[in-house]
Amino acid sequence: MGGTLALTKAEISRLRRNKRYMIFTVALPVMFYLIFGKSKTTGYGVSFAAFYMVGMASFGAFSGAFNNNTIRISQERKDGWIRQLRLTPLPANAYVVAKVLTSMVTTVPSILIVFLLGRFYAHVQMPIWKWVVCAVAIWIGTLIFAALAVALGYKLNPDSVQPVTIVVFFFFSIFGGLWFPLSGALQKFAEFTPTYQIVKISTDVIGQGSVALVNVIGVVAWFAIFAVLATFAVRSTAETV
Amino acid sequence: MGQYQAGYATALSSAASYGASRGGAPVVSFENVSKHYGNLHAVDGLTLDLRHGETVALLGPNGAGKSTSLDMLLALRKPTSGRIEMFGSDPYHAVKSGRVGAMLQSGGLMPEVTVRELVTLITKLHPKPEPVETTLTRAGIAQFADQRVDRLSGGQTQRVRFALAICGQSELIVLDEPTTAMDVETRRLFWSSMKEEVAEGRTLLFATHYLEEADQAADRILVINRGRLLADGTPAEIKQRAGAKRLSFKLDRVDEQFLLSLPGLVNLEVRHDLVQIQSSDSDATLYAVLNAGYRPREIEVGSLGLEQAFIAITAEDDATNGNAHAGETN
Repeated sequence: MGGTLALTKAEISRLRRNKRYMIFTVALPVMFYLIFGKSKTTGYGVSFAAFYMVGMASFGAFSGAFNNNTIRISQERKDGWIRQLRLTPLPANAYVVAKVLTSMVTTVPSILIVFLLGRFYAHVQMPIWKWVVCAVAIWIGTLIFAALAVALGYKLNPDSVQPVTIVVFFFFSIFGGLWFPLSGALQKFAEFTPTYQIVKISTDVIGQGSVALVNVIGVVAWFAIFAVLATFAVRSTAETV
Repeated sequence: MGQYQAGYATALSSAASYGASRGGAPVVSFENVSKHYGNLHAVDGLTLDLRHGETVALLGPNGAGKSTSLDMLLALRKPTSGRIEMFGSDPYHAVKSGRVGAMLQSGGLMPEVTVRELVTLITKLHPKPEPVETTLTRAGIAQFADQRVDRLSGGQTQRVRFALAICGQSELIVLDEPTTAMDVETRRLFWSSMKEEVAEGRTLLFATHYLEEADQAADRILVINRGRLLADGTPAEIKQRAGAKRLSFKLDRVDEQFLLSLPGLVNLEVRHDLVQIQSSDSDATLYAVLNAGYRPREIEVGSLGLEQAFIAITAEDDATNGNAHAGETN
């Protein structure tokens, strides 16, 4: 485990130097929140400020765990870095574990900064425990996207991974309602997406102080599906990595 | 196939005697190892042992199965059949115990970190590593240790990979085409630091295209072609394996008929008083000249170059086995 943590530390220090990463995971959600955060409407029964805070924190965190990882994993597989690591005493799963752990650490600032803006810029008021539950729900959501990133990163080559990543991420963020609250037929459809389920868990906690079981089951199911896909992707490419 | 089989048997017996002279359990052993991709037999029944402290060159043309063999040894690929052992365990566990350091052509580096950060990271993963500064010096990368890995030249990158292979003070070092992309000077530095590693009792296995390197650096050469082991022995043995030594002398009254009847003669060239002979048994050839009463001057006996030997061995194999089953009816 010591080796895996050493690799995780190196991954985190790499990301901290990466401007692109900071722009997409922190600067972009902050900018959008500053522009739209004080809008006077509502979403899913809570103020728009609260809804949009959850949406933008999720956008930043998921984009960090997903966009960044798919492209890096695919590139590092092609470059032979994964191969090089397999020649060290690191356990076989260390690379993937380190990528997921890194995502879990580096998405914390994205969530915290947008939440601070929500509290002090758009004046979202709620008890401490609700803040904590919302942050944790989004944080756990990053696991889903980190798992999907592993599956796609291992399966796709660097040329095709970029467009696929953009399409998949925009699909989940727009049709999962991270940008604006959905209604009608679109909402019926969105109920099946992990992004919607995580936002809904958070807004339900903020508005009613409770959570719909169906959304929790949804989140767990998506994680299970993506984790299985990731496992298959890693195993099936073992000889070509 | 007669000639080929005879040669193959010689190679195997010399390998056996070589191994026995060193004693101890083999560091690496391949037992009838094959790797097939559909109809392609990348590696085809490879059997060999590496002993502690040996420097072994794996020599073969492109596509001979060198990289596939090393990949299987390093647990990156699984053999279709056969068994590989390293330090008495399977390759995966041997690699994970840190007893092997390796540098592959296809191995990449982590971008966006400095050379020192990368070497430090890999060093930390080994159970009893070399101090980072020592590794940097040995690999000749200390002067650019603070540069970012993704901004190095090809030769510099190659040396960083080498650093990663030696930083763990592993007992076995495996290098796949280590000096590709290095200039002459860097290559010389590389081999001198490699010799330090060997002097400390490490076993070294390297694949190469450069015959000169195999000749100078290795004390044992494995020639493989089409996934099979064709010859195994010291550089001198491999040269001999191609069937001939060079023998030349000066003689005033040349009797060509007599010279053509000499034992072991493979090829004869006479220019004025200079006689040049290729012989499969240079001693017997020379004794026959002396016994006939001749007293030649300026006698020189030398080996064929490794390159000629290598070409002879692989060409013989291609000729015998290149066409489907041609060898068996021969």
